[in-house]
Amino acid sequence: MSKEEMFKELSDAVISCKKDTVTAAVEKAKGQGLEPAEIIEKGLATGMNEVGILFERGKLFLPHVMMAAGAMEAGVAILEADMPKDAAKKKLAVIVNGTVEGDVHDIGKSIVSTMLQSAGFEVHDIGRDVPLQDFIDKAKETSATMIGLSALMTTTMQGQKDVIEMLKEQGMRDNVKIMIGGAPATQAWADKIGADCYAENASEAVVKAKELLV
Amino acid sequence: MATEYKLRMGDGKRIFMTKEQIMADLKEGMADAADLGSIPDISADELDKLFDILTMPSRMVGVELGKEVPVTHDIGTLRIDGDQGNSGVGIPSSRLVGIMMHERAFGADTMELGHIDYSYKPAKPVIAQEMQTMEVVQQNTIVPMFYGAMPNMGLYYTPDGPFENPGDLMKAFKIEEARKSMEDSAKHLTRDIVWIMQRMMASGADGVNFDTVGAAGDGDMYASLHAIEALRKQYPDIYIESGMAGELMLGMHGEMEYDGVTLAGLWPHQQAPLAAKAGANVFGPVVNTNTSKSGAWNLGRAVTFIKQAVKDSPIPCHVNMGMGVGGIPMLETPTIDAVSRASKAMVEIAGVDGI
Ligand code: B12
Repeated sequence: MSKEEMFKELSDAVISCKKDTVTAAVEKAKGQGLEPAEIIEKGLATGMNEVGILFERGKLFLPHVMMAAGAMEAGVAILEADMPKDAAKKKLAVIVNGTVEGDVHDIGKSIVSTMLQSAGFEVHDIGRDVPLQDFIDKAKETSATMIGLSALMTTTMQGQKDVIEMLKEQGMRDNVKIMIGGAPATQAWADKIGADCYAENASEAVVKAKELLV
Repeated sequence: MATEYKLRMGDGKRIFMTKEQIMADLKEGMADAADLGSIPDISADELDKLFDILTMPSRMVGVELGKEVPVTHDIGTLRIDGDQGNSGVGIPSSRLVGIMMHERAFGADTMELGHIDYSYKPAKPVIAQEMQTMEVVQQNTIVPMFYGAMPNMGLYYTPDGPFENPGDLMKAFKIEEARKSMEDSAKHLTRDIVWIMQRMMASGADGVNFDTVGAAGDGDMYASLHAIEALRKQYPDIYIESGMAGELMLGMHGEMEYDGVTLAGLWPHQQAPLAAKAGANVFGPVVNTNTSKSGAWNLGRAVTFIKQAVKDSPIPCHVNMGMGVGGIPMLETPTIDAVSRASKAMVEIAGVDGI
């Protein structure tokens, strides 16, 4: 079996959302002498990305995303012994995510948190209708390198801008990346308020976060 | 230089596009819908007609004579009184005044009574007020009068309700517990909707509007369909409208079924037959507007989806048209050029029975 075929098998195993299938594929890949890092990156993580896309297209559902993430974790656990200490366990980065003050819409925001977590980020979801200063305080407390700001209303989008201004005032703007989202947000709005990125949906949020943080 | 036409982006921004660009976006939007929903493209003639509608020189357009459709207004009761934060116009007025203005001044064909918190659950503590208002409204109007609210199953999860929040459970990999929480919430939601509507029917309501079914995912739709079924059984003549929340039924649970069909992942044309089966009279399909794409892209996409919903629906389809849905830009008070064009397209190309 070629390397490419093995990566495909690993990726398909994650998409199947089955733990046993994933662990079997990982054992097989190990047996073929593949490096743990490439098993994870080119095999398992590729599958997880695909799961995100299938979710966005309504072909897989939230529980599947979690099962796939759980299965991937089990696969990674097998490789841990062969990897430099802590390398496998290490989270990609720490992200604080929440819905801005005055806005109680949290369905989309929670999906984004779940997908980021499934993709290997350490996510601190601080809920909805969150006082703006809390985003900054939580980022300090957890040494987060990204803050996700969700707003579902044109009337609360301003909160996304305010957090950026507050970060500047508190001399923290350079410590964290700001990712914004929610139905009324656009790339143009992100540019206008000086956010680091905008994502239209949860799988795009994962891609953008990886681009900026990994 | 090629002629440029004035269009809008999905966020309402004014843009200028050539015929080639508009046609390309219409086709791209259509292809996106066809791909996601596994549905056919619209015809070349229909694409040309969409182009004509988008580029008509007048600021506002209307349907051809004889093609008029009924227009109903969901939370219209509050659209006058509520300000922009409520997607309204902020003119202080009672709910009765809001309803009468819609009936007598704006020509709405049906209206509904809804309360400011606009979900079923918070209507329970104020039910006496709702019943009294329904009676007074019925004494002053002749249009069919619904009671309307959002099923909004999220209100049954912590911190708002008794059941542990499935979102939190899910993040902790407690998938079965999360599902159980949704199933329990769905039962409560069905019960509450039926309880509220029994009282509103006793106060003279003509029907019920299930606004944004499925906003909290498949469990929300499951509960709503069961409430529709129960109400149809108890009130054979009740007029039931079931409207969608977003274009795709979010799979929070993933395995809930109605009539043997898995609810998660259903697009408008797949939801319509289930609403009919449960006992609804009218189905309200929704297609979301993408704020980062042009009006042409959004309308090409929305019309493709809605045309199929109309085709597959055994009951009349009254498409949801408003801020951020149906190819209309995401603005508190969407511009008339965009609203009237999208509406004309829905009637004349998608073939909707009402708006
Ligand atoms: C469900 C809903 C509610 C529910 C929310 C339940 C909950 N727990 O979230 C309830 C009933 C509580 C509600 C209340 C209100 N709502 Co509401 N609601 C909606 C509705 C129908 C769907 C939103 C939704 O969940 N979509 C599904 C999710 C999956 O999509 P999403 O949120 O867009 O998220 C995706 C992306 O945007 C992105 N994303 C989201 N967050 C983030 C964050 C980051 C960092 C990134 C990168 C990406 C990202 O990824 C997500 C996954 O793909 C929308 C209309 C619509 N169709 O959008 C109106 C809507 C948002 N509501 C609206 C309004 C007006 C209200 C109320 C003011 C109504 C009232 N009069 O009381 C109140 C708000 C109270 C408040 N202070 O917040 C308006 C907003 C208008 C405006 N001015 O902008 C809308 C647009 C409806 C309308 N057309 O009028 N609502």
